Amino acid sequence: MLNYIIRRVFQSVLVLLVVGLVAFSMFRFVGDPIDNMLGQERTQADIERLRTQLGLDQPFPVQYLKFLEGAAQGNFGVSYRQGRPVAEIIAERAPATLELAAVSGFFAIFFGIVLGVFTAIRRDGWASNVIMTVSLIGVSLPTFLIGILLIYIFSVELDMLPSFGRGEVVDLGGWTTGFLTASGLKALILPSITLGLYQMTLIMRLVRAEMLEVLRQDYINFARARGLSERVVNFRHALKNTLVPVITVTGLQLGSIIAFAIITETVFQWPGVGLLFINAIQFVDIPVMAAYLMLISVMFVGINLAVDLLYVAIDPRLRSEGGTV
Amino acid sequence: MLRLTAATALGLCLATAAAAESFKWAGTTDPQTMDPHAVNSAPVLGFLNNVYEGLVRRGKDMAIEPALATSWEPIGDGEGWRFNLRRDVKFHDGSDFDADDVIFSYDRASSEAADVKGWFAPVADVLKVDEFTVDVMTKAPNPIFPDSIANWMIMDAAWTSQRDAALPDKENGNAATLNANGTGAFMLADRQPGLQTTLVPFDGWWGEAEHNISQATFTPIQNPATAVAALLSGEVDLINPVPIQDAVRLAESEGVQVIQGIEARVIMLGFAHEAETLKYGANAGDPNPFRDVRVREAVARAVNVPAILQTIMRGNAEPASQLVSPAMRGFSAANDSRPEFDVDAAKALLTEAGYPDGFGFGLKCPNNRYLNDESVCQAVVSMLAQIGITAELDAMPVQNYWPELRADNYDMYLLGWSPGTFDHEHPIRFLASTPNAEKKLGSWNFGGYSNARIDELLPMIQSEIDDGARQAMLDEVTTLYQGEHAYVTMYVQPLVWGAGDNIALTQRPDNFFILRWVTVN
Repeated sequence: MLNYIIRRVFQSVLVLLVVGLVAFSMFRFVGDPIDNMLGQERTQADIERLRTQLGLDQPFPVQYLKFLEGAAQGNFGVSYRQGRPVAEIIAERAPATLELAAVSGFFAIFFGIVLGVFTAIRRDGWASNVIMTVSLIGVSLPTFLIGILLIYIFSVELDMLPSFGRGEVVDLGGWTTGFLTASGLKALILPSITLGLYQMTLIMRLVRAEMLEVLRQDYINFARARGLSERVVNFRHALKNTLVPVITVTGLQLGSIIAFAIITETVFQWPGVGLLFINAIQFVDIPVMAAYLMLISVMFVGINLAVDLLYVAIDPRLRSEGGTV
Repeated sequence: MLRLTAATALGLCLATAAAAESFKWAGTTDPQTMDPHAVNSAPVLGFLNNVYEGLVRRGKDMAIEPALATSWEPIGDGEGWRFNLRRDVKFHDGSDFDADDVIFSYDRASSEAADVKGWFAPVADVLKVDEFTVDVMTKAPNPIFPDSIANWMIMDAAWTSQRDAALPDKENGNAATLNANGTGAFMLADRQPGLQTTLVPFDGWWGEAEHNISQATFTPIQNPATAVAALLSGEVDLINPVPIQDAVRLAESEGVQVIQGIEARVIMLGFAHEAETLKYGANAGDPNPFRDVRVREAVARAVNVPAILQTIMRGNAEPASQLVSPAMRGFSAANDSRPEFDVDAAKALLTEAGYPDGFGFGLKCPNNRYLNDESVCQAVVSMLAQIGITAELDAMPVQNYWPELRADNYDMYLLGWSPGTFDHEHPIRFLASTPNAEKKLGSWNFGGYSNARIDELLPMIQSEIDDGARQAMLDEVTTLYQGEHAYVTMYVQPLVWGAGDNIALTQRPDNFFILRWVTVN
């Protein structure tokens, strides 16, 4: 068991290192930050000086090693654009992304399950057909289009909800939250729907399919035969048994909600890490790009590692001592 | 349990106190620093013009007018300029402004760490005559020096030094990166980089306030569609820029006005003047045809600028005959005509130059630097195809573009130039002078265009005090670079802002948004 865990952790670290290396080898294709940092009246000497100062004259493996050296000590460097430590900037932006991800995750799970159950029980009703058709749009339309559409309807035409930003936020000692003000809560609605719509559709279809499968099982017929109410049959017996795969998928989707927030954040000018990353690409802000990519890969690798370890905990066959997994 | 920080509490107070005349505006780029000497870019200098002030400033017509200096006059036969400083000026923190702050700001802005040090290349020394008089000694007579320092902003010596910000630090930042203490009409109340920046009027300002703003908030909004939606829904009062393709629709919407003007930036095509061979396209490796002035003229005649302006710019831009627009100082009125669009003449020129069947080459173009830049390049490609020369277009983001141009990886390229000093001398120095790193000349003349007479005239233009003689030399330079078709100047980029109906403002050609000219009705 211990052997297995150590090996998996070792593999995860290896994956992280490779991701970092690939990222650093790509940065020079993103462009040259020097021109963004110097004005119109810069000279060739200024360019050379700044390049040396930032270490951009070094080959990328050397730059990568320097980054790793700093990162190991918790120092991710200083943003080229903002002139502030990257760790500070990311910490400042993270709450916006995490709150958005949490709300859209909740939205996706809640409505996904409710609508999934509904469409499974009333599988031939007109309402179910409408929901299933509309949900197809949710999967097939690109996120930015949905965002723009929602902005157009709810901000421009109906003037109900803000079209951009987080509204008023309250600072709880380093964590800014939009949950405590009316404008903050209103600002969350459109971006959460935009971000969560795809996941909601996914969960809804999954729940529906599982539910239809379960409803055909003998024990459901037995439950009905015992004279239990439809409610008890549907929710206590059927729904509970559909949730296992749903939970697995939802867990894995959590990472992608945070990673895919980039597009939603750009459309709604949501001040999270995704928007920060897009700005960093435009400015070729290498320290910010590097830190963001490492953070996202740590998150994905971490989730996968946790899932792997859970499997071991659940499935005794994986607990071999001899390493013949 | 709930701990509000000072900044938020302040923000809440401001929000409630200023319901009537608060003003919100949005732009694509957040100013990357609040330090007026650290970064020489339009978003930074434009924003900080509301907070800091220079000795002189630009008025609504771009002419310079007194700011922290009440008057100035040349010393002797052009040894320098004497500035008489305004008395009773206070910085936002309450301290007094005097000659020491000017000397300090000169040392700071001309230091190696400053990005604006180029402005002070002609300066030999800055001397304090008395508490309110400063002499700027120049290495040679410099008639346009006062014009060239409108964006040189004065910082308080004590405030800056006490905060370890005596020198700008672009790479690591310092106190002046996030805070500001100017003498301008507005004070920095709250700064959240990349999120929002709040300004409030400065009660102790020396000038007469024209505006009626009690609080102004700037938010960067990158996505143009989101910005337009924010304007339409009334969440912001002004957006800059309005996407060209949305201008008409926006102008027809209720409650919104579109304000159009002409920017200072001239968009042009540049050539590889020096390269021996073509680098791209069907004829890569063959001798470079653009060394021949007849070929360059053929290109100039084949590009139908009015058609580009009509279709791609939707009638919002003006053709450009030279490296500066008519609004700039030193514009050569004598040379205000573009080569006529004429396909037959262009073909004849190509035949004469020995290319009756045309040739293939590579055109480099940015795709996110200028308004509709890639579309303009595509139009140029199809127009050149009509005279039989086929361009292989390679459009890329600007962050990849400049390194390519510096590495000479092009046969022809697109460039936009906005003269920092609003004077014709500026593009001549950067684009038409023979590149010379030591003398800091021609640093954006990628193609290596060179004309000995222009190189000879430039220092004379720079030091000529008499306006008539100066203009005569500028006219001569213009005739030279036009005659040699060094660049194909195409048009002056338009300036399109969108604002609520209740907003009165003045749009300046340098695209600076001056808050003290805004009235909310």
